[in-house]
Amino acid sequence: MIFDSYTIVITGLGGQGLVSLLKILGNALVTKGYKVITSETHGLSQRGGKVTCFLRFGDMLNAPIPMIGSADMIIATEKSCILDVLQYARPNKSTKLIISSYEKSIINEKYPSENYILKVLNENSDNIYFIPATNIAVKLVKNLKAANIVILGYILRFLPLSEKDIENSLKQQFLGKDLEINLKALKEGQNLQ
Amino acid sequence: MSYNKIVKGNSGDEKFFLGNETIVRGALESGIDVYTYYPGTPSSEVGEIFMEIFRDVGMKWVESSINEKVAIEVAGAAYARGASVMVGMKNVGLNVASDPLFALSTTHPKNKNSALVILVADDPQQHSSAVEMDSRYYLKLFKIPALEPSNPQECLDFTKKAFEISRELKLPVILRTVTMVSHSRSNVVIGEIKRSKIKEDFDLSKEFNVASRLYFLELKEDQIYNRLNRALEMSENSSLNRFENMNVKNEFELGIITSGVSYSYVREALNFLGFKAPILKIGFINPLPAQKIANFLKQFTQVFIVEENDAYIETQVLAIAQKNDLKVKIHGKDPFSYSKENSSLPFVGELDPTKIALALIKITNITPKIDLNQIKGKKYEILGRLPILCPGCPHRTTGYAIKQAITKIKSKTGKKVYFYQDIGCYTLLAYPPLSFANVKYCMGSSIALAQGVAHTNGSLNIAIIGDGTFFHAGIPALLNGIYNKAPILVLILDNGWIGMTGQQPHPGSDIRYYKEGYFKRDIKLEDFLQGTGAHVSVIRHHENNEQDYLTRLKEVIYEKGLDVLERKNLHVILVKDECIQKYVKKYEPYVRYVDVKSCKNCGLCYSQFLCPAISEKDDAAFINSTLCLGCDICEEICPNNAIKREEIP
Repeated sequence: MIFDSYTIVITGLGGQGLVSLLKILGNALVTKGYKVITSETHGLSQRGGKVTCFLRFGDMLNAPIPMIGSADMIIATEKSCILDVLQYARPNKSTKLIISSYEKSIINEKYPSENYILKVLNENSDNIYFIPATNIAVKLVKNLKAANIVILGYILRFLPLSEKDIENSLKQQFLGKDLEINLKALKEGQNLQ
Repeated sequence: MSYNKIVKGNSGDEKFFLGNETIVRGALESGIDVYTYYPGTPSSEVGEIFMEIFRDVGMKWVESSINEKVAIEVAGAAYARGASVMVGMKNVGLNVASDPLFALSTTHPKNKNSALVILVADDPQQHSSAVEMDSRYYLKLFKIPALEPSNPQECLDFTKKAFEISRELKLPVILRTVTMVSHSRSNVVIGEIKRSKIKEDFDLSKEFNVASRLYFLELKEDQIYNRLNRALEMSENSSLNRFENMNVKNEFELGIITSGVSYSYVREALNFLGFKAPILKIGFINPLPAQKIANFLKQFTQVFIVEENDAYIETQVLAIAQKNDLKVKIHGKDPFSYSKENSSLPFVGELDPTKIALALIKITNITPKIDLNQIKGKKYEILGRLPILCPGCPHRTTGYAIKQAITKIKSKTGKKVYFYQDIGCYTLLAYPPLSFANVKYCMGSSIALAQGVAHTNGSLNIAIIGDGTFFHAGIPALLNGIYNKAPILVLILDNGWIGMTGQQPHPGSDIRYYKEGYFKRDIKLEDFLQGTGAHVSVIRHHENNEQDYLTRLKEVIYEKGLDVLERKNLHVILVKDECIQKYVKKYEPYVRYVDVKSCKNCGLCYSQFLCPAISEKDDAAFINSTLCLGCDICEEICPNNAIKREEIP
């Protein structure tokens, strides 16, 4: 596959491991010969607040931040967070929205209703995928922190990367038991329909 | 880990590097001897990596200094004595370092190997800063050259260039990055690591040549008319200031001048609009290449200046146009109007490609392929998520104890209580439900702010400061308060590390728990405080396995607070409870769970104590066992004894 540029927006909560996800995916793409640029959030914003990162790859790369209305894929590792970044979805509704079913509510604030979220998502995209990433991570992999890798396993089908490519990248990041857990999470994500 | 990643690899290899990692590699390829720093997002990783690798790569010295002023003094002396040196800090750190940097900038070392690069990382949008500050105006004050990379590859090339320029001109050179460059990761082609050419011997009286009262004016003449003059010539001829797309024409006779990360946004916006324009990309940001800029301006009727934060380049471009009698319309921030209507770009906040595309649309009236304003106009029900303290964070416990203690003080005395916060994670106590006032200026200001009110008002004034911040800039303010008998309560929240930027060590950190600690000697805060003559109370979490920590903490705050009001004494309470990010493995192997039969769902643990591991589920509190770290405070606060322990599975 050849891309001028492919833009992924990743959003979620600080502490969910978004930076690790970027590194694993970015490393695999670089090894495969792609030019990649990411932007990461560090510092205080790590802790619990909303975090948005970008990963872009292809031959026509410029900025670490994309234009609004131009993302190819948006990933939300917490459901309601997707509402924050819909401005990056293309107006022609072609952007793939990958949403974890994980909900983290806040005390004294009403969590957006299922109906509302679905309505808004349908206004913005014809390609919506809900992934029960935390359920799979807790029940099948027995580790909540592996949820992002379940998502990574799922989105592999849309990317110019093989299972081997990501496995190699995971091996650079993890060792021993952690590696085992993440390889299992990757498999579970790939097997999701 | 960092050694394999950063140091290994040969010239021509391609790496996937963070901007900050690339800066380390660039310095190693320039034969660096010394790196000193004070951690501050977005610059911290550079120091962390150097700290980890410097003994193995054979550098002379690396230190995480007590503050930026000391960091630059240590670095400056090493530079004057003949070392190749880099010193790193965030934008506001440069304020702290600015005092010695004046004399240092004018100093003219005679040693061939002397080079000094100052890494200053700005943080537009103040993602993790107390203020949004553009450090570039300092360049005019210090009169030193500066380079600004726009992506990770340029971080490598520009770092090497900065060392070359400094070594040749004998001026410190600032390497200015912003968050989106320091924390951007991309493909980087590396070069060869160089050995330093530092010599053991040097002549202090001949080589140091420090700009002191005796020769300051003489050296200042040399700095401006000789060294800075040569820097200007370099800037005019440097490929770091380059023309792009000069053969393309647009009907608006519009050219663009930009620098740093804004350059990448400009390219993105032009690409999106399908619009072509010649660009002057400025990498050598001080002195600006005035002649090159004039030559560029001459070719257009309008020029658009794109830069983050202040109109640093734009103001100078306006002057250059005047000096060259050029009639050209300058678009940008319109620095002489302070008006949103007149400007194309904002002074406040971070730029992005969309803001630049919208500005270009406004300037040219071209129609984009998609309606950006329509996208921006869409609003959704968004949850306002505030950053929160980690599960098990000691600051949550302290904040909770303070809240309860002062409620008691207020009802007993009828006096008002005011809080002064400092720079650190505990700033988050300003958010609900504790909602402490978020009053602070900068590192170390809390203790002096409390004094300013206490001397003029009969209320109880409480300063809250972390251990790292106390070492950095709190000590003079505390001594000032003790000397002046200021009736204030100072709470030093000693979590053992510089927590917010990633648990870097400070002089009080336990030397047993970090690798470089082997070579250090730690300074015990309790000993230091005893020596000041202040009334000091020390309270420790997990002391003798006691289960009443919160109660003890509440009591001491109550007692000492009352004493401040009644006897006008200054009290210091040193709260020792380690950062959960460091302590996590040392907790006993239990997590907590809620016994649903005993839980009355009063909500104290999840809505007042606000631990992120606890939420409400099926009319009872619920503890997420994967988030719980076993700090045991919830067990103590639960009025119904409903929180129990279970072994970690």
